[in-house]
Amino acid sequence: MKYLIFLFTFVLLSCSNEPTLQKYFVENSESADFFSLDIAPSILKTDSLTLTNEEKAALDAFKKMNILAFKKDAINDDKYQSEITKVNTILKNEKYESLIKFGTNANGAAIYVTGETDKIDEFIILAKQTESGFAIIRVLGDTMDVNHVMTLFQLIQKSNIDMEQLKPLQQFMK
Amino acid sequence: MKNIVLSAVFLFMSAIVTAQGAFDKFENNESVASVIVSKKMFEMMSKVKADAKDKEAQQFMNVIKKLDNLKVFMTSNAKTANDMKATVSSYLKSNPLEELMRMNDSGRQVKIYVKSGANENIIKELLMYIEDPTSKDKQAIVMSLTGTFYLDEISSITEKLNLPGGNELKKAAKK
Repeated sequence: MKYLIFLFTFVLLSCSNEPTLQKYFVENSESADFFSLDIAPSILKTDSLTLTNEEKAALDAFKKMNILAFKKDAINDDKYQSEITKVNTILKNEKYESLIKFGTNANGAAIYVTGETDKIDEFIILAKQTESGFAIIRVLGDTMDVNHVMTLFQLIQKSNIDMEQLKPLQQFMK
Repeated sequence: MKNIVLSAVFLFMSAIVTAQGAFDKFENNESVASVIVSKKMFEMMSKVKADAKDKEAQQFMNVIKKLDNLKVFMTSNAKTANDMKATVSSYLKSNPLEELMRMNDSGRQVKIYVKSGANENIIKELLMYIEDPTSKDKQAIVMSLTGTFYLDEISSITEKLNLPGGNELKKAAKK
């Protein structure tokens, strides 16, 4: 037990205080205002398909997808504002490079990446709508590049999607 | 050949330091809709393998490589439109760009400014300001594009990306 506590403090100390999206996800995934979902590559049912080498490489580079969404209702406006501010502050860190942003201050979307151009660790998509809330989607991979992503999108179109994994999302949207 | 490479490198460097930040304040303005594409995005898009047979796509990829930053700000608010106008003119004072074109079409005003590179045909920065008091949702538009490109290349991009002022750019390129 003592050993555990020691280990725990050590882990805490060794983490920098810098907020990261990872921490934000961990902190909020259990919270009542949030909805979270992890999607594994197995969501794409590719068994029935003969994959090209490119497609295999793309699937290989893709590790998982995490979704965290904040659903806005009539009473949590303050919380919405403070949470979206937190997220924006995290994304201001130079580790997250902005690719594209569009929309207005209230409603819009933005895409960020971490890693190098040919070795992307993570794609981050942030979408917000003042009336309904915001969602952060993290696509985590291992040295992904743009072509992997394009191939993956094509693959999504032609493979069956395992709807079981998306069920919580459907329930959340209701 | 060496000279071309050198000047290309030089242009590239100077494009990075070109101030584009003057308009960033509009990004967080309530009444402004914006589109911002970073250098990284262009860099990544240029890595996409285009179909070698598709000439149009190839050409598109070629131009993408030459772009650094794209920023578009649109407003539906008359007050913000005035602010944009003021920001454009103060920006032009501190960063002298050449006026390429000025158009007035029944109240709709389009002004295009450029900063040329090594020769007149190469553009390092393009600034477009469109003012239209009669339009409801687009009272004013500011578009800023940096990179190292030719004007006629850009009109094809604006068309493809459905950006404002595409027609005007086309006309300017034909001159």
